[in-house]
Amino acid sequence: MTLLCVGLSHKQAPIAVRERIAVPAEQVEGRLRQLKSLPGVREAMLVSTCNRIEIFAVADSRDAGEDVLETLGPVAAPHAVRRFEEEALRHLFRVTASLDSMVVGEAQILGQVKEAAAVAQQAGALGPELAKVLARATTAAKRVRTETEIARGAVSVSSVAVQLAHKLLGSLDGRTVLLLGAGEMAQLAARELRSQGAHELLVANRSPQQAEELAREVGGVPVSLAELPALLVRADVAICSTGATEAVVTRELMARALKARRYRPIFLVDLTLPRNVEPSANELENVYVYDLDDLERVAVQNRDLRASQVARAEEIVEQELKAFLLASRERTAVPVLARLRAHAESVARAEVEKTLASLQGLDEKQQKTVRAMASAIVNKLLHTPTSRLRTEAGRGPLGEATAALFGLEAEPEQPGEQASSEQARAESAAEGAVLPLLRKR
Amino acid sequence: MATILVHIALLAYTAGAAAFLTWLVRPSPGLVRAGRMLLLVGVVVHFAAFGVSLGVAGAGLGIKAWKGGELFSLLAAVTVTGYLLLDFRYELPVAGAFVGPFTVAVMVPAHLVHSNARVIAPEVSHSIALFVHVGAAAIGTAVLALSFGLSVLYLASERQMKEKRPGRLFARLPSLDLLDRAGYRLAVWGFVFLSLAIATGSLVSREVTGSPFPFPVAPKEGFAVLAWALFASLIQARLVAGWRGRRVAMLVVAGFVLLVGTYVGLLSAAPALRGTAA
Repeated sequence: MTLLCVGLSHKQAPIAVRERIAVPAEQVEGRLRQLKSLPGVREAMLVSTCNRIEIFAVADSRDAGEDVLETLGPVAAPHAVRRFEEEALRHLFRVTASLDSMVVGEAQILGQVKEAAAVAQQAGALGPELAKVLARATTAAKRVRTETEIARGAVSVSSVAVQLAHKLLGSLDGRTVLLLGAGEMAQLAARELRSQGAHELLVANRSPQQAEELAREVGGVPVSLAELPALLVRADVAICSTGATEAVVTRELMARALKARRYRPIFLVDLTLPRNVEPSANELENVYVYDLDDLERVAVQNRDLRASQVARAEEIVEQELKAFLLASRERTAVPVLARLRAHAESVARAEVEKTLASLQGLDEKQQKTVRAMASAIVNKLLHTPTSRLRTEAGRGPLGEATAALFGLEAEPEQPGEQASSEQARAESAAEGAVLPLLRKR
Repeated sequence: MATILVHIALLAYTAGAAAFLTWLVRPSPGLVRAGRMLLLVGVVVHFAAFGVSLGVAGAGLGIKAWKGGELFSLLAAVTVTGYLLLDFRYELPVAGAFVGPFTVAVMVPAHLVHSNARVIAPEVSHSIALFVHVGAAAIGTAVLALSFGLSVLYLASERQMKEKRPGRLFARLPSLDLLDRAGYRLAVWGFVFLSLAIATGSLVSREVTGSPFPFPVAPKEGFAVLAWALFASLIQARLVAGWRGRRVAMLVVAGFVLLVGTYVGLLSAAPALRGTAA
């Protein structure tokens, strides 16, 4: 079986192409059923976000890749990339760990991959192979997030403002946010603060009517700009975006408010030019003023920090990838081992019983000794082949050669209850021989 | 036996400190878990060592001599205990990166450098007041050391926030609000224990010298009273005028420095406990 990945991302195709081949959420299940019905395709998952449309599938051979590509339509073909086996696996690990994202380290992609897996399961397109791959990819992504700083630090101006508000105030539960003016970025930041638990969102504007409209839009309470001194006493975060040509929040105004608010810290975010908050207000104790340049500088610093963590994140992905490949190769080696052991044991058992029948007068203890000797011979003879097969783990020709040499190829598909129970016993015996060795490592 | 246990505790503290310091450079939840576990193991073994020592010494209040090293060792154990409680409440691994090395820095000279035994005045060798005094002083100092640590972290973090240049460790530091609240709460508790230590100290002094406030004032008492007054003013300023943040953090740092002066005074000349073993 082959893991394949067919599709494109922001790296291969511009948005004009991506938007034409994007699959709306309600059509994903149908598309997955279509994929599953393709010849040779056993399992499939579709990741469709604004930055990528990619199909991960388990198929009988690489040939299925072309059929899968056709489902994306003719627009996708010139841009699409086909990846197979280890390359496809590595790509899925990197995508899930957000190493292939437009903003490296962004948090959404992991959720999007999980969502894609859930939809595939719902559509009956997710099978055991893809599930195993996804579980390991998720583990790798989580390790990348916890063991590196790739996801630390916001990288857009509005999210930097929200992050700094958290840094200053901790939880935003019960906090009051004041929105001065109607700038788009300010609204975005205010909405994000509100979604993160801010208790009260006060919206002030020069025009009361505009304040009311905006308050309705962002789910806040309209207040009058004339009450600014009192509002500065109440607010924990003030986002200024009024379009006024001179400072609305002066140092003097803030100094007076500070005393009245008993030195509770306040975060003043100034998102306009010319600035609405007098920069010298930052010199006051427990007053923190950040303007556009300051926020952008922090965003750049965070982007640099993320970039510096990419090498370590790639290292983690490679570790997980290698571990996964090794485990799956070992899994593929087990059937040959199981069949070899079952064959050897059945030969030994038959010969022992024949010998015991011809030897009259042996007591139970002596019979037991003969059986133990036969078992010991089998174990000693199989020790080196078992360990070689396990070490090679499907990477070389030994597995196939063993099967051919001992005539093991035809054994598995035996009909009848007895045969399958014997096989199961043999496999569990083989696993018993292999698993302890794996655990030791 | 006690010495072996102390050495095991010191090893656990060192490994715990290493885990937390590594976490600063390479964040991993596993390192934090390992650091916590190692400090916990260290402190349990450390207290077991104290138990064994007390048992050997005849148990209870009948101790006739003490060493500076033992006092610092007790301080280290109480500080680690305080940190583990604090971490349980607020999740502050970054403070572990402060407490771990601090503990090792206190323990190494305390146990590896020889110090003379000092005789305890016979009048107080069975005194409950002395027992409470030492306990309250150790707990108070440990709590204030933690408050000091959080205040230093607050000042570092606040500076970066003000200068708008968050450094590498900025992301690992908790919010300023948390550092401020936790640091202040610890300062209040430290003040309570410090008050108890000073009150019981004056009782011990009366038992030895006949006066609760002997004159001239020794450096130990002088520094302790100054530190107490500073923490009292800090709490008053917070409650009445709403002081918080940088000012409070700086006062905590100053108060703790004064408290360290108390220990320097204690080691140089301790009136109530004066004397050197033959």
